Amino acid sequence: MRLKKTMIDKNKKPRVAIYDFTDCEGCEVKLVSLRERLLALEKKIDIVNWRLGQERFESGPYDITIIEGTPIHHHEISLLKELRENSKILVALGACAALAGIPGIMPEKDRKVWYEKIYSSQYHPAGVDAVPLSAYVDVDFAIHGCPVDEDEVVRVFEELLAGKTPSYRGFSVCFDCKQAGNPCRIAEEKKPCLGPITQGGCKAVCVSGGSPCYGCFGIREEANIPSLVKILEKIADPKTVERYLTMFHNRTKEILELKDNEK
Amino acid sequence: MLIIKTEKIDEFLEELKTNFSVFNIGGSLSDGGMSFKKYFFPPVEKIFSKTSTSNVEVMKAPKKFILLGLDLPDLEALTYLDEIMQNPNEDFFYLQKRKQSVVIGLTAENIDTAPGGDIVFQDVGETKYRVWENTAKGKKLIKKYKRFFEESDINAGADSDGAPQIPNNESLGEWSRSMRELLLDSEFLAKAVEWSRDHPIWDELGKKCLGCGICTYVCPLCHCFSIEDSVGLDDKCSRCRKWDACTLPDFAKIAGGHNFRPSIKERYYDWFYHKFVRGYNEYGKSQCVGCERCKELCPAGIDIYEILSVILKDYKKTLAES
Repeated sequence: MRLKKTMIDKNKKPRVAIYDFTDCEGCEVKLVSLRERLLALEKKIDIVNWRLGQERFESGPYDITIIEGTPIHHHEISLLKELRENSKILVALGACAALAGIPGIMPEKDRKVWYEKIYSSQYHPAGVDAVPLSAYVDVDFAIHGCPVDEDEVVRVFEELLAGKTPSYRGFSVCFDCKQAGNPCRIAEEKKPCLGPITQGGCKAVCVSGGSPCYGCFGIREEANIPSLVKILEKIADPKTVERYLTMFHNRTKEILELKDNEK
Repeated sequence: MLIIKTEKIDEFLEELKTNFSVFNIGGSLSDGGMSFKKYFFPPVEKIFSKTSTSNVEVMKAPKKFILLGLDLPDLEALTYLDEIMQNPNEDFFYLQKRKQSVVIGLTAENIDTAPGGDIVFQDVGETKYRVWENTAKGKKLIKKYKRFFEESDINAGADSDGAPQIPNNESLGEWSRSMRELLLDSEFLAKAVEWSRDHPIWDELGKKCLGCGICTYVCPLCHCFSIEDSVGLDDKCSRCRKWDACTLPDFAKIAGGHNFRPSIKERYYDWFYHKFVRGYNEYGKSQCVGCERCKELCPAGIDIYEILSVILKDYKKTLAES
């Protein structure tokens, strides 16, 4: 991901656009759930285009464009490229935009089976496989999560508004998980978990709630994925391990590289 | 000597709770394996904040609190961490919280002196605990609650040396015992670990270690942190300190992006180097008390005793050959 030196002009309210492609819109709901903090944020930024949140609809150029979801139609792909051209800073919001996430699980040949079952063989879908935004355009920063964490959204805006280049969390979900006082799924419960290779900052909500970590916060920088795969293969069958690794990361370069190396 | 009967302990704690916050450490694996450390040195703490017009607002100390249930390794670790946090420089934020605490240890080990904390309850069997008053703070607390304690002669069956006949109900596991035996000669450990820098075991560990940081988080003695500054939406600038871990990629990364320890192998060796080499050089002993948390909670199943055993064996061999 590129890091641009031309951050926003601190003397002017940045013009912000919020767009969404294919996804559940849950991450935008998270923006709305910022409540009072969204109002505080609105004093610092000028949201000039947000389909889900307001009627105001101004065209670019924008200082910051936030994109939720992933394009699966050629119109969306063109729009994404256009937005990139018209934006100083482009931020991917949530797992679908950052990783392809859930829409990225199913490749076209598997989708065809369901199209026929659900819509009959007469149906000719125009959609392409879901891939991360970064497969089409340069993304300046990705706010990870399914859905995103409100505090992380605020942190990224605070850093952008302070004229900083936002930084990724250099620690794993394990830091959040220890703070939550959870027993270790892998070490103590012998259950699979992607926490050790996943970027932290999520407050370990899934593990605290009894679910595994499937890595929606993105792969942590310099994560030792091959070692974790070996560990997981000792406590789960290969199919389960595959399911964990492809839940959010089916189309991310880290996991695709891992699969290439296995071949 | 002073004792407290088992049935009085709960009453004593209930009474304490009416005046203080009481936190119970429980076993070494409770609370996700987090030790007493977080009460004095929290994983994330905002240490001060200010706006362009207001003065610096420094984090306030918590109300007085009681920390209970530290076992023998934890008590030793606390004594050591106190030393680290006072020498060569005083760590204001650690000591600020430390001063507000009364620490009560709990052990079934045969001890002949209190290894740390303000008060230690030593399980001497027959439903009673010997009470060690280790500090003035501890004495003061016991004086205030003296109705729960009593003088008793547990030397009744003393042998000819006058040593008390305490039943041998040692509580530490086999791993801890073996580890603590190695730790007795921290000078030798320091030499061996320093010698081992080019040992092939670090290549293996570089492949195995996930770099997740859990070992450093659960270690009662690891104390490295990073500093993060932020400007809030309310224009308040804050400085936050946060636990760091030497196994993480950013730990030795500096401005401009250079990383002094570019691979997991180097990072993992550094963890050992700090514990066993620097610990000895700077404080005269290894920064490990054999609490077993890192071994029990490592997702990759790394066992520091096994690693040290391999290194010591090869180091001894090298010494014998030279």
